[in-house]
This record gives sequence, C-alpha cells and structure tokens, in this order.
Amino acid sequence: MRAKSFAPVMRGIAAIMACVLVLTMVGAGVADTFRTRIDDALRTQSYVTNTDPDSARFKSDYATIDDMMAAAKALAIKEGEEGTVIMKNDNGALPLADGGSVALFGLAAYAPYPYTAGDLKAGNEDAVDLLQALTDAGIKVNETVRDFYLEKVLNKHTEEVPNRWTGELETQVAYDNIYVAAPGDMAEYQIVEVPPEKFGEMGAPDDWKSSIDKANTTGICVFARGAGEGNTYAPGSALDFEGNATGKDPLALSDDELAVIDAAKETCSKVVVLINSGNTMVLKDIAKGGAHEVDGIAYIGVINDYQCTGIVKVLTGQVNATGALPDTYVADNASIPAVMNFGGGYYADYEIVGRKDDPRYPGVEIGNETAGSFGGSDTYNGGHFIVEAEGIYVGYKYFETRYYDSVMNPGSKASSGKGATQDSAWNYGKEVLYTFGHGLSYLDYTQTLKSVDVDKTPDGNVTAVVELKNNSSQDGYFLAQLYVQQPYTDYDKQNNVEKSAVMFLNSAKAQVKAGGSVDVTITVPSKYLASYDYTNAKTYILDAGDYLFTAAPGAHAAVNNFLAHQGKTAADGMDAEADGAVVTWNVGTLDTDTFSVENGTKVTNVAETADLNYWTGTNTVTYLSRHDWEGTYPINYNTDVEIKLADSPKKDEWIAELRGETYTIQNNSPATEGGDKGVRFDTTNIQYEQLENVADSFWDTLVSSITIDEAVGAVIHGGSRSDVLTNVENPIVIQNEGVSGFTATHEETGYRFNVHSQTLLASSFNPELAYEWGRVEGNSGLWLQRYHLWGTGLTQRRTPYNGRNYEYISEDPMLSNRMGCGILQGCADMGILNGPKHMGFNDQEHNRGGVSAYMNEQKFRETDLRCFQGGLEDADGMAVMIAFNRIGATNASHHVGMLQKILRDEWAYTGLISTDMMNNKYYFNAESMVMAGITQVADFGGDDNHITLGEGGVDATWAYISPKTVANDSALVEQARQNLKYQLYTFANSAIMNVSTERVDTWWDVALRNAKYISGALCAVTAAAWVILTVIPDKKKEV
Amino acid sequence: MNVIKKFSVGAWITLAAAVMALVSVIVYTVNIGSAGYFQNAAVSNLTVFCVLAVAALAAAVALGQIKPSGSAASLVELVQGALQIAAPVLLTLCLANLVAARAEGLGFIYFSNADVIKEVQTPANLASATGTIANMVCLAAAMVIGMVGAFCGLRKKEK
Repeated sequence: MRAKSFAPVMRGIAAIMACVLVLTMVGAGVADTFRTRIDDALRTQSYVTNTDPDSARFKSDYATIDDMMAAAKALAIKEGEEGTVIMKNDNGALPLADGGSVALFGLAAYAPYPYTAGDLKAGNEDAVDLLQALTDAGIKVNETVRDFYLEKVLNKHTEEVPNRWTGELETQVAYDNIYVAAPGDMAEYQIVEVPPEKFGEMGAPDDWKSSIDKANTTGICVFARGAGEGNTYAPGSALDFEGNATGKDPLALSDDELAVIDAAKETCSKVVVLINSGNTMVLKDIAKGGAHEVDGIAYIGVINDYQCTGIVKVLTGQVNATGALPDTYVADNASIPAVMNFGGGYYADYEIVGRKDDPRYPGVEIGNETAGSFGGSDTYNGGHFIVEAEGIYVGYKYFETRYYDSVMNPGSKASSGKGATQDSAWNYGKEVLYTFGHGLSYLDYTQTLKSVDVDKTPDGNVTAVVELKNNSSQDGYFLAQLYVQQPYTDYDKQNNVEKSAVMFLNSAKAQVKAGGSVDVTITVPSKYLASYDYTNAKTYILDAGDYLFTAAPGAHAAVNNFLAHQGKTAADGMDAEADGAVVTWNVGTLDTDTFSVENGTKVTNVAETADLNYWTGTNTVTYLSRHDWEGTYPINYNTDVEIKLADSPKKDEWIAELRGETYTIQNNSPATEGGDKGVRFDTTNIQYEQLENVADSFWDTLVSSITIDEAVGAVIHGGSRSDVLTNVENPIVIQNEGVSGFTATHEETGYRFNVHSQTLLASSFNPELAYEWGRVEGNSGLWLQRYHLWGTGLTQRRTPYNGRNYEYISEDPMLSNRMGCGILQGCADMGILNGPKHMGFNDQEHNRGGVSAYMNEQKFRETDLRCFQGGLEDADGMAVMIAFNRIGATNASHHVGMLQKILRDEWAYTGLISTDMMNNKYYFNAESMVMAGITQVADFGGDDNHITLGEGGVDATWAYISPKTVANDSALVEQARQNLKYQLYTFANSAIMNVSTERVDTWWDVALRNAKYISGALCAVTAAAWVILTVIPDKKKEV
Repeated sequence: MNVIKKFSVGAWITLAAAVMALVSVIVYTVNIGSAGYFQNAAVSNLTVFCVLAVAALAAAVALGQIKPSGSAASLVELVQGALQIAAPVLLTLCLANLVAARAEGLGFIYFSNADVIKEVQTPANLASATGTIANMVCLAAAMVIGMVGAFCGLRKKEK
C-alpha cells in the first residue's frame, strides 16, 4: 500500500482534531460562564472557602493594635505636616528660629478648635496640643502670657452636659472664656476673644508686656471659628467680646482679635497669625496693606489629637511647607456671587402648598412653613428656596475667570462695578487676598509641565509629567499642581455653556534632593475635561480649540501662565509677569460623542426640573455668564423678584413635587410575595462570580425571597443598622458616625481612632495621603470590627458660611473629587464601607430639611456631583449619604435623575444609598425614596423593620403604607428588592463577609485542558502528515 | 452531467454536509424571526460562518473534479483538503457559539422554578426553544458529516 494513500485519512483526522480543539477552546469559556451550574450537576467544586484568619480577604496591615495606633498617630502628624499652609511670610517670620521664643496669644492658642472630644476629635490621652507641640520642639513659650491665658482667661475645668442624642449627662471639658464652638442657625455669633484692655481686670500681671523679650520673640496669635451640624453663619451677625453687635462678618477678624494682634505686635518683633477654622475667614486687616498687617499667616484648619506636632514641624521648618489653600480668601465675603443667594426665603405664596385633604394623611392640616433640621411640626417644609445663579462660578473659578477676562476680554465687562466690594470698579487684586492653591514653600523650587498626553476615550486619562526642581541647598518635599484652561467658544456663548478660565485637575508631591529635580506624573480621567451642555447637545461636550495645561503654585499663577502664553503682559493688565509655560492639546472639531455615553448609559439631561425657569416658564433666572459679567451678575431671587407658585404654567406639578408626590403608590399590578427560594446570604451561595457581578442571577433570586413587608420595611426604616431578612439570613451591619474616623473606642486599649483632620487633609493637596488615611481608617474598622461608617464629607463648599464646611474638602470639585477618590479607595481596599456625606447640594445647614436649591444642569453635574464622582465612580466607594435639601422642588432623596440615572446608570455605582436622618414624614416620602433607589432610609427605627408596626398593622410612620396597600404595586415592591440587592451585594464585597474564596481546578477543568492540548497536538501532527503525503511525488510515475 | 457521474461517495457526503449547513441557517433565521424567547436573539457570526462553511464545501467538491497536471495538482489537492478541514471547523464554531448563546435561555425555559415555569413555558417560548434545539441538531449533523467527508476523496478514481 502506497504511503500517499494515507493522506485522506490524515486529513480526516486533522479535521476531527481541529474541531475538537475548537470545541475545547470555546467550550472552556462556556463552561466557565456556567461553572456553578456545572458544579451542581457534576457535584464538583470550583471554589473553596478559606476561613483561616490568615487567608481572610481583608487583612489588617498591622500585626498588633500598637502598630495600628502608631500608624493612626503617624498619619495624623503627617496631615499637620502636609496640610499647614503658609499664606504670608514676610521678614523671615517663618520658620521660627531654632531655639527661639514665642508668646502665644488668643484663646485657641491654648485650646485649639475643637477642644472637646467627640465626632470631631478623638481625645486620646496622648493627644498633643499646640502648646505641647511647641514645647516638644524646643520652642520657648513665654510663661507669663501662657499662665495668664491658662489660669486667668481660660481656666480649664469639666462640666456635666447632656448628650445631644441620648440626653445622658457626660463629662466635658469647659472653660471660663472660650470661642463659641457652635455658631447656631444663622444666629448672632459672639466672637469671644478677650481684648487686651481687659487683661488687667482679668488678672494679668502688670509686667506681662515687659516679660516678653521683644527682640527675640515671635508673637503667635491663634483664632478659631466654630462649626457643626445644623449651624450656618449669618453675614453681619458678629457680636464682640461684650456681646455687642458689630455688624461685621462673623468670619472676619473682630476688633477684639485685631486688638490682640496689635498687642502682639507691640510686644514681639514678629507676629504670625494661625487660622484655626474650617470656614474660610476674612483676613483683609492683617494681609499685605491691611491696617493690622502681620508678618506671617498660616492656615492650620480644624485640628485633632496629633496634628499639632506636624503643624509645629512646619512652623519650625523641620519639614518644608507644602500645604495649599483649598478655598479662596477674599477681602469681603459679599464679593462672592454665591453669597448673593444664600440662606433663602419664602415663595410669595408658599402657603398654597399646605393642605388639609392630603389623602395620605387624612384629618391632618399640613402646612408649608420651614421647620428645624429634625422636624417637629406638620409641614411639607417646602416654603424656602434659593437660586444658585452663580452656576459653575464658585470660589476661584469666579475670581480667576473674571480676572482673566478683565485682561483678555474687556468687552465682557469684567471690570464693571457689579460684584465689586473694594472699589467702584471690580479689581482682582483688591478683591482676592489668597487664591485657591496658594501656599508658600520655604525652599525655593519651580514646577514645570514637561508633557501632557490626553487619551480622548471615555475611560481615558490625562497624563501629565511635571518637573519639580529644588533650587535650594536643602533636600525637601514639594507640591506640583496641574491646571487646564478649556476653550470658551462661540458655541458656548450661544448655548450657555460656561467655562472657567482655569480649572484645577490634580496634584502630587515628591521629595527632591537639594539642587536636583524629579519628574512627577499626575493623572486624571479625561472625562473631566468635558463640559456639560444642557441646552443644545444635552450631554458632555469637548469644544473645538486649544486646551492649555500648566503646572503652577495656585490658580492665579496658572491663569497668568495662560495669559502670558496668549501674548499678554503686565502692560495689558496682568498683575504679574509669567513665563507662559503651557502645553497645548487641540481638539479639531466640537466633540459631542466621546463623553456622551458613560458605562453604557446615554448621558443626557436628568435635572431640568432643578431649574427655576422650568417652573416659571420664563427666563426668571439669569445665570452668571462670563460673556457679560455685568449683565448676568446674580441678583437675590428671594428679595429682588417675587416668585409665586400660582403663576406657574406648571403650578399643579410644582406643588405636587413640593408635597413630596414624586411617586404615587399604584394599585393595579400585584406584586409577587417572597418566600424561601433555597438560597441564602452565605459563602456556599456567594462565590467569586456573585461577588464580581451584581447582575448575577443569584442576587435576583436571593432578593425575590424577601417578603413584601420586609422588602419595603427594610428600605424605608433603619439607620443604625441593617435588618435581618427572614429568607436571606444576612448579617447585621452596624452603622457608625465619624468624619474623622470611627468614633467607637477600642475595648482593650481604650483608644479612639477618629484622629483625622478633614481640613488639613484637604489642604495637603495630596491624593496619596488621602488614600493612606482611607487605608488607616479601613484598618481601624477591622480592628474595631466595625465595617460601615459615614466617614468623610465631600459636598462642595459653595460659600464660607456653611457650618459643615469643616467636614468637606474644598470649594473646588476636582480637589474634592481626587481626595474623595483616595479616601474611599483606601477604605474599600480594606473592605470597609465609607459613605461620604451629603451628596446633592447641602450648601447650607439653614433650613437644610427642605430648602429648594434651584440651578441649571451644568452646575448640577459639574459642581457638587463632581465632588462625589471620583470616590463613587472612579474608586470603589461602597456607600453614600444623600443631602437633606431639595434639588429644585424635589427632595434629594427622591431624585431619580441623580440617584438612578447618574449614580446607578452613568457611574455604574453598586453601593448603598442612604438618606440623612429622616426627620419629617411629610417631606420624606417613603414610596418616592424607594423608587429613587434609596437602599435604607435613616431614621430612628428599631432593629428589624416592617410596615406593620403601627396601630392597626400599618406602617408606624407612614400610616397609608401597609403590606396590603403596597401589594398591588409590583414596581414599588420590586424596586425595594432591587435596592436591597445593592445593599446585600455591597455587604458581600466588604469585610463583613471576611473570608477568601479560591478557584481550584475540577476534574472537568483538567479534562478540558488536556483535551485541548492533545487535540491541538494531534491536529498539528496529522495536518503536517497530510500535507507531506499530499505533496510527495507519485512514485509510480517516476518508474 | 458527466461531472456529476465523476462524483465519488465523498463528494456526495460533502454536499450533504453543505445542504445540512444550509438547512441550519434557514432554521436559525426562522427561529430568530419567529415569536418566542429567542426572537431577534442573533448569534454573533453564526450566519457568516455557516455560509462560509457551505461555500468551502462546495468549492472543495468543485476543486475535486478538476485534474491539473504537475505541481498544480498538489496545490489544488492541498487547497481542496484545506477547505474540507476548514468547513467542519467553521460549523463547530457555529455550534459552540449557538450553545453558548442559548444555554441560559434554554435553562430558563425548561428548568425555571415551579412557581414561574407556567409563565415561562408559553407555546411561543417552547416553539422557540424547539427551533433552537433543531438548529443545534442540524449544525451538529452538518459538522459530523463534514468531518466524515474530510476522510474521502471527491472524485471517482479513474480505472
């Protein structure tokens, strides 16, 4: 038999083997998709659960509790080192001379804010205050002044005070004289600073002045402003030490404080003022040219247990100063356009919202007056509103853009008198004292942008390389800041798209050797270069034109770089020359596509009803626009115009929204009752696939087992902990407060880990430090066995007056975005749910439980929501708390556009969504919250919640809700189950279920793999044999 | 007609595979065009691969009927053989993709929980599932016949 006759056989075998190869290759992928079901069918096991503590999915970075405490302390000190901002430094005031002397003035010098332990301050025994830190650093503190303040002025003691929530008496630190820690709700604010004229009568020694060695002593004056939940400063509300109204801004230095400064100037050769506040203060009097100008000013934020050690390291020059201002400091807060609409007021006919015949509350006369943060009367609390007519121009974006236009586009009337407070014409140099990003370095250095690469894809990044060059003779640590200018085009002017002349993108820090240089890479998602066009494209757009990038020590230096690049000089009105070092990236044509789809969701308008003009049907509101600074500068929409609900062409819709009727319970679609589906929340059912994929059918099966009563009840009640669901058997997860970290005390050591300072972290401008804090915070959760906390605040600081600013990061959305990204990722990496507060424009605490904040959709998307986007979309954030207020007329916790369309769909967020503490059942509407996607309403409900706990088997809060009344609304019940699905999915992905699962090969994995290799080899061999046998010459013919 | 007389058994087997592949395309098209669970549930590249397989099989048969001389003979024989190998491979890909795309749906229709199975097993859904299974059977048959054909020459030996 001739060999050639085997060729067809070889070909046939090759075909079979090729088919087998294809089957095994494709089949392996298919089998992997259906792994769990194959395992069930074949009784194999692809995953094994490892319960060994050493193999836990989330393990602490620290071997012992001592290591953990040391790490928390080190991080807090680092916040002081990196967050202290040198705002002014003349005459060599700082750093303090080695071994030099200081005299400390001001109440806060001896009791920095906050002085009591609690949410804000840990209060550990080894806490170090400013006095101790200075002493530890070898600085001599004048004892006469010190003793006078400590013994005669402050006189520290303890008092029994009732706990705010429980009413139980607690021992707290108290003083005879101390600054007011809680400014109240737009109340008068007394600035309790003892003026020097009172020193004598308060027992100061006659020789206190002469006790100071003036030539060798630096006077350090520390002034604080309090803050807190439910607190909002009122412009012009200041009282002096005696309690007399002064008419001054409470955030400005009072005459008494200025007198203290004058006394320090009289007795010391140099004077440095430290600003101990989370609210931006007015420092005109002590800044350059001020009547009480001092040599140095430094920002030290709101401190905690250990930050003073770091702050003093900066003051003494042990470390270089690298902090930068997260907010703009102005000469007069009235110059801030957002302040034009702050506090709010009633609609002219707000009463028409109230009613006696609300079918949900028969027999109840419900009004529409404002109520306190925690309710207390029968009211929809929808009478007050503000109009955020400043749009995107918050903080430096207003001041720097107006400055830019005053030089580049005089036709925009940037120099008109509108908004000017210091002169008849608006002048940047007079209005702004210290801009965003400002912070002086002790060591001379330069930052130069070397390159920028923009990946213009939906998930792409801007990657910038900045050279940090240390021009000094000392090794040091330095800050690089990246800014961009987007083109402002005719398209923008025609379609009301606003662009700041400068936008902060991100920052980074690096150590640089003396005389050396280091290249720092800064990245930020490219999507943030896009702007939201709410009128024409109704999506994110990238305008055609040049995008200018620069590295600069602050927003103003960045703007000057742009101006210089564009050919402007001091002769054109610039206030400083600049090198114009800019890297340009060009977009050829208007791009309305690239960022119009996010995570598979079409991005389009979702908040048109937030615009007051939507309701009035006319252009009632003129939003601030840089094309005409004079003509568009905000008026006060509470006092300058009359807004009547009854005049609206959408009157009924508007009133219904103000009554919380965002969703109405339906009665025509029976819901499916839950029941045991044979699955549970456990490691048997929750394996790798389920942890990875919230769309895995397991989750729907699991939540379909929840009864109607429990599904709705668990969503609309709770707050202190999660419910145990009958057919799910999920773990209980306790919620914890703590913007400074977990407030719980570690049982064995008595240590408290809430040692963080949000304000100093913010002014560190270091996202890596934010990640480090998040990780420490997460680690502490593992040690405390607490897994869920409301542990950071990311709301934009719209104005300086919000009493919660100390919990938030900045006036700038991108700084908040990048720091939030770091904090939440750090916690997520440790399996800890850290929910930032208060998404959705908690721009003031005054009337927060109902005030309507009206705005256009560009502001909606590019300001407060952008602050949260980094942590909740770019990082793996697992929880978020929603603001109290309304967005437009809609309760933020009812806002389907924000919560479902943006958070869930556009951002693909899979975590918890909680309300703030639900305070008013007429304002918070249970069914609307369910339909908006709230996973758990925070109220004072019991442990396991039902909608049967009220009299007659109805809900205890919303009596119109019962299993019977919701049973015919399948959409509502299914949405409640979906909301719980996200909650359970998040718990599964946290340290709550802290076990690891490992993939192992089953016999069929091995069989498939071997079949692939064998068939592949045989295919190759037989195919080769076929080719050879086919091409060999026919021997018969050769004969 | 003389050409057909020269068809070997292998050629007829190969043509049978092509016909079966064509049938499976038709069944697939009808299945996704009819009411039921898999309506409009197109499977990526299935039609393209199937048509390519049919073309490959037909081309192989055609090439098998020509008899060039010299080195061209080996070349034609290699191309013909490669097509005989490629066709069942393409059909295998079609089958695997179809199974991957339909497994979950079939599981849903036939193995849902008792409380929902009545809602799921509507006549339309069952017809759709049956059509999909028929589609799989046709593809599997075409694949196997194609493999068998790969063992065979495509022209009767000259006596």
